[in-house]
Amino acid sequence: MTGRVIVITSGKGGVGKTTTNANIGTALARAGNKVVMIDTDLGLRNLDLLLGLENRIVYTIVDVVEERCKLKQALVKDKKNPNLCLLAAAQTRDKTAVTEEQLKEICDKLKKDFDFILVDCPAGIEQGFQNAVAGATEAIVVTTPEMSAVRDADRIIGLLEAKEEIKSYKLLLNRVRPNLIKSNDMMSVEDVVEILSAELIGIIPEDTGIITSTNKGEPIVNDEKSLAGTAYRNVAKRIMGEEVPFIDLEEATSVVAKVKKFFSNLIGKEK
Amino acid sequence: MSENILKELCNRVLSLFKQTESKEENAKEVACNRLRVVLMQDRTNLTPELLQRMRRELVELLSKYVEMDKDALELNFDQEGDQMALMLSIPVIRAKDEAEIEEALKTEEVDNETEDEEDSDSEEEISEENFEEDEASEEEVNEEIIEKNDENLQEDEATEENK
Repeated sequence: MTGRVIVITSGKGGVGKTTTNANIGTALARAGNKVVMIDTDLGLRNLDLLLGLENRIVYTIVDVVEERCKLKQALVKDKKNPNLCLLAAAQTRDKTAVTEEQLKEICDKLKKDFDFILVDCPAGIEQGFQNAVAGATEAIVVTTPEMSAVRDADRIIGLLEAKEEIKSYKLLLNRVRPNLIKSNDMMSVEDVVEILSAELIGIIPEDTGIITSTNKGEPIVNDEKSLAGTAYRNVAKRIMGEEVPFIDLEEATSVVAKVKKFFSNLIGKEK
Repeated sequence: MSENILKELCNRVLSLFKQTESKEENAKEVACNRLRVVLMQDRTNLTPELLQRMRRELVELLSKYVEMDKDALELNFDQEGDQMALMLSIPVIRAKDEAEIEEALKTEEVDNETEDEEDSDSEEEISEENFEEDEASEEEVNEEIIEKNDENLQEDEATEENK
């Protein structure tokens, strides 16, 4: 088995890298793939929280690198899905605790046992970014339709293009607000895609459900009814090579759609 | 009188509406346009001053050969896939005839001679003028290249005359 190593990065912080990682990873595992997620945000780990695994972590990536445990011992299994694992970041160390070569080595080892290795990249373009990218051959650039996020994504794309190992990168547009786009108060999906001239892999609507799902430590892809969850599941399908049309968010979030959803929930039939 | 006041009031009310309307419409457009400018600078390392200078120098250079609408000159960077292209669009008012072009080139040579009397070779000075702010070593290299080109040119002319 040779797994695909995909780094999830953004440049700017707070655009939803870790949320994206948790959801795509969970969705890929739900679809039957063996998935491991690596949190490389040393000192600021959060992926464990989003997956609700914070109490199960015994060893971290730094323990693996410093040979206090074997790689397999450090992999934490997901509560629900045995196909899903997490290699957590150390909370007490900084970005220099792991080198590019060490991360590459870990990715190469994991490739043998997993279909997908998702690397959660820290914000910024310094060593943390360089480390996270080191073992990857594909990248997902997460951005939002805001100027600062798009600008930083452009920087990241420039850096990714300079890396020979990265064979392809795709854009994931997060926190899209159809009503603001409709009123011309926010850049549209098309605007961002045109400005960055990158291929799109997902459009995720802004969803209050993300907040509650983070609080519960339960990725939103597990909620069949959630629009953001469906959008993330579609991203996972596209990663697996399926052609899935993008959800028309304007239509899906319109009043008519909400009324329909309300009634279908009342009647109790699954949409 | 009252008619005027009414008209003005009407206009003011209208302009208020227009303002709020255009503001709402523009938030996205403003963001897109600002981003395009910022990204152009990020991608090329060209500051607005440098872009302005590039524009000015291009106008200077090109107006020797054609008469053009200098204010309508458009200079943009376009991203076409992986390739970045510099797009220059200038409305040409009129093509200059040979005599005018020759004159433009001559007056330039004269200008350069009067500007810098120490050097006798006028071609050299063009390069100096263009690279004024560059370092001395770079200037020298440029001069050398141009000198070499001159030699080649002279040779070409000589062979042509022989024919």
